[in-house]
Amino acid sequence: MIKDTKFFIENPYGRWVRDNLFSSSSSAFLTFFAGFMVIYSYRGIVGFILNPERMWTSVTYNMKLYMILAYPDEAMIRVWLSVGLALILGGLSIGFYNSGKTISLGGIFQKLFTISAVIALLIALAPTNTNVIQNDGSIEVVEIISRDIRMLILGPSLVLTLAFFFLRNIKIKNLFNTAKVNLTYFGLIIGSLYFIKIPTISLDSSGERIIPDPFLPIASTTYIPWTILYVAMLLFFFIGSLLKNRDIKIMARLIPISWFLCPLFIFSWIFKKPLVELNTVFSADIPSILVFGIIGFLIIRFSDNESIGVYRTPINIGFLVLSIIVFLLPLVFIFKATMVLLLLLLVVSPAIATTKEGKRQLFIVWIVSLFVLTFLIRGASSDTMLVTPTGSIFGGFSLTWLLAIFGTYASFPLGLALALGRTSTLPVIRIICTGIIEIVRSVPYITWLFFASVMLTVFLPTGVEFNLIIRVLILTAFFSGAYFAEYIRGGLQSIPKGQYEAANAIGMNPFQRIFLVIVPQALRTIIPTLVGSVITSFKDSSLVAIIGLFDILRIGTSVIPAQSQPVVFIGRNLEQLVFLSFFFWVFTFVFSRRSMKFEKRLGLGER
Amino acid sequence: MSKKAIVSLLVLSMVAVACATDTAEEEVAVEEEHDHSDESTLEMVLERGFVKCGVSGSATAFSETGADGSITGFDADYCYAVAAALFGDYSKVEFKSLTSAERFTSLAAGDIDVLIRNTTWTQSRDTELGNDFGPTTYFDGQQLMGRNSDGISSSSTLADIDGLSVCTNAGTTTEKNITEGAGLVGATITLVTVEKFSEAMDKFIAGECDIVTTDGSALVGRRAVNDALNDWSIFPTSPISKEPLGPVYRSNDSAWGDVINWVVYATIIADEYGVTSANVDSVDTDAFPELGRLFGANDGELQTIMGLDAKAFYNVIKQVGNYDEIYSRNLNPVGLFREGGANDRWTNGGLIYAPPAR
Repeated sequence: MIKDTKFFIENPYGRWVRDNLFSSSSSAFLTFFAGFMVIYSYRGIVGFILNPERMWTSVTYNMKLYMILAYPDEAMIRVWLSVGLALILGGLSIGFYNSGKTISLGGIFQKLFTISAVIALLIALAPTNTNVIQNDGSIEVVEIISRDIRMLILGPSLVLTLAFFFLRNIKIKNLFNTAKVNLTYFGLIIGSLYFIKIPTISLDSSGERIIPDPFLPIASTTYIPWTILYVAMLLFFFIGSLLKNRDIKIMARLIPISWFLCPLFIFSWIFKKPLVELNTVFSADIPSILVFGIIGFLIIRFSDNESIGVYRTPINIGFLVLSIIVFLLPLVFIFKATMVLLLLLLVVSPAIATTKEGKRQLFIVWIVSLFVLTFLIRGASSDTMLVTPTGSIFGGFSLTWLLAIFGTYASFPLGLALALGRTSTLPVIRIICTGIIEIVRSVPYITWLFFASVMLTVFLPTGVEFNLIIRVLILTAFFSGAYFAEYIRGGLQSIPKGQYEAANAIGMNPFQRIFLVIVPQALRTIIPTLVGSVITSFKDSSLVAIIGLFDILRIGTSVIPAQSQPVVFIGRNLEQLVFLSFFFWVFTFVFSRRSMKFEKRLGLGER
Repeated sequence: MSKKAIVSLLVLSMVAVACATDTAEEEVAVEEEHDHSDESTLEMVLERGFVKCGVSGSATAFSETGADGSITGFDADYCYAVAAALFGDYSKVEFKSLTSAERFTSLAAGDIDVLIRNTTWTQSRDTELGNDFGPTTYFDGQQLMGRNSDGISSSSTLADIDGLSVCTNAGTTTEKNITEGAGLVGATITLVTVEKFSEAMDKFIAGECDIVTTDGSALVGRRAVNDALNDWSIFPTSPISKEPLGPVYRSNDSAWGDVINWVVYATIIADEYGVTSANVDSVDTDAFPELGRLFGANDGELQTIMGLDAKAFYNVIKQVGNYDEIYSRNLNPVGLFREGGANDRWTNGGLIYAPPAR
């Protein structure tokens, strides 16, 4: 296609262009066509965003509403604690799992070169004018990027691009730890909160809007908490590095468990501020821990006792019947939940409590789980002490997050159980599990949401009324559980038969075979699919807007375009949609990038 | 710990947490059984200590959610007024933002005590659905809006929209009214239906449709906001439908219904006498015996028979204001004014009228 001139053969850039963009006439056509489409849409989007008709302050002014809806002001410290806990854990993990990967100064300049080149390209391609539709239907062309502004940005970015182009070949031996470099970038973002100023809607003492809007730093009300959290994150990064250097093994287990428990703890205790009476703790929680602790000890102690071995099946069935009875009796909820945990212990103990050491460890795990479970349930099942004008403390992004996290947490074990049930050889279990999976999967999510919001109340006995959020959570657990089940089944079927036979050959019982050999391998192969599914459920959570829950989408499309006081935002729905798309994109993009790195570390597709 | 133990701990806690999160909150969520037959809503609300008020939460100027999550507006103010009458403290309200689909089921299920959510009073809603309607607080009606440049003026009629495209939200009575109305005058229109009125407005501004139609209050509001007083016209002068908006409560509960009705009437009577939240303390109750009875200055017997405090309506006016104050505060900023309209005082030719307090 391109003539074999010297430039396109000897110069590496020229060669790349020839090989990748214009290798044949059809690929040259595709390059031009795709390039035109990309530039056309980019100019359209910029024209839309910079259109003087847009009122972006409607987004920034309502940021708190977007995040937490009507969460009371006096309890804001709880929101910051929740964010802080995640950041601290993040800092600790970055420090502890620091792979020691380094980047040279040249590498940093290479990145900066790319960034400034992209900025220069974007500003060069940006449109000069945009169309504004007047009230009488006529169209007026308005200049959005004047020549001066374009030159003001283009000039320096071109100079920087050139400078970084030469600097990137610099031969300096200095190497920087990537984790530290990333933390510095994050610090720069936090620092920019102080310096970058945007027009902010401000009200004077009598509640009147100050016109024109004064320029205030981004996050003018929240930069202090952000700074504190960043410092705390840095601190925990160094603690994490220290722990790694000291080679403290226990952390390698504690950190994943903390990540797992962190959202549960946040939602049940920090965000919720539960009203816990010591009375109930002493009358229900502590007896429950004692009783179940002793039963668990007995189960673990005698799990490999040979004289009991023959009676194992009757004992298991007995416990199953007992737990059903416990569920039907009007007992404290903690008893019922712990009963489920006990059933699980009964199932796994023959697989693990085979040696004295195994028994000791299982008992420790049992006691710790008992405490954690009781603690979380006590928080989750107590009334909240917070008072909000709307009666619910979850709304906006906190609701989206709640649905996404709890949807995943609850649906994963459910999906695993359904998948194992579906592959089971017992016909009754297999038919029930297949039925659940197929019924749930063959009905759209929106239909199920309407089912939860409208029909579930009809089926439930009178007087039993679930909170709508809980109804949706249960439903989401089943819905994504059914999908998880199918993915996991795919993973299970990818395990060669030889693995089953090998497990049988070394005398493993069915539980050992499934939980120690098959499931770990099956889960490893389906991680990409599972991550995709988690992202889907995160995005799907915005569907709850149609059944009247105030999630972030409903706030953007209904609430903000209706505001008339103190500032009129009536009809400002396009701005919100652009913001929400960007917001969701950032989260899902970061999430999928992390999962790609995770896959690489596990060596998926390589081993 | 061995690998086995880790695996088991993870599985244990996962399942436990799954069970916990799924069902833990059931216990809390199981609400006390409402026994509507024995207890009046009034007793129930007084016992509870706050009133649960169903609003829209996203209806401009009627009940909108502010940037801090607080709910304000014309409807919201009537919720505050009910709380002021019951508890002497207007803030004893818990709002529940409802979609138009779920408002009546929510009321029937006892999730809310009173529904003040720009709800039109119709025969079927009043009779079939087991609701009772309080006095109308706002008289609305469906109108149309078009561009002056298209030859539309405020004196246009439905016949003038022949051949034009009309944007409206789907599946509502708005859609039904416009098709019926256009059919009556023999005008052929192209209906463009969208889900929300704001989308209809976006299409109207972008020129995708020539006419947009919904309740007159919303049209006036949008015209004021877009600063298009000289470019867009609202017609016909008398709306094509009647939309009387007011509070709704469950049927067969007159003790509770009376409270709601008389809170509304008290604001209207105070407006007739020109009593506002600013001058309610200095009102001469001897010169106006009706006000004396209403504000409990003499004995307040009329209020105590209703199960309220003698000073109940005094608190309403003092803390929330009279009808005119509530109206002006919320609806004037979006360009809706009382003068000369259906929502003016009856003495000025409007429809806002209250029975005497005696």
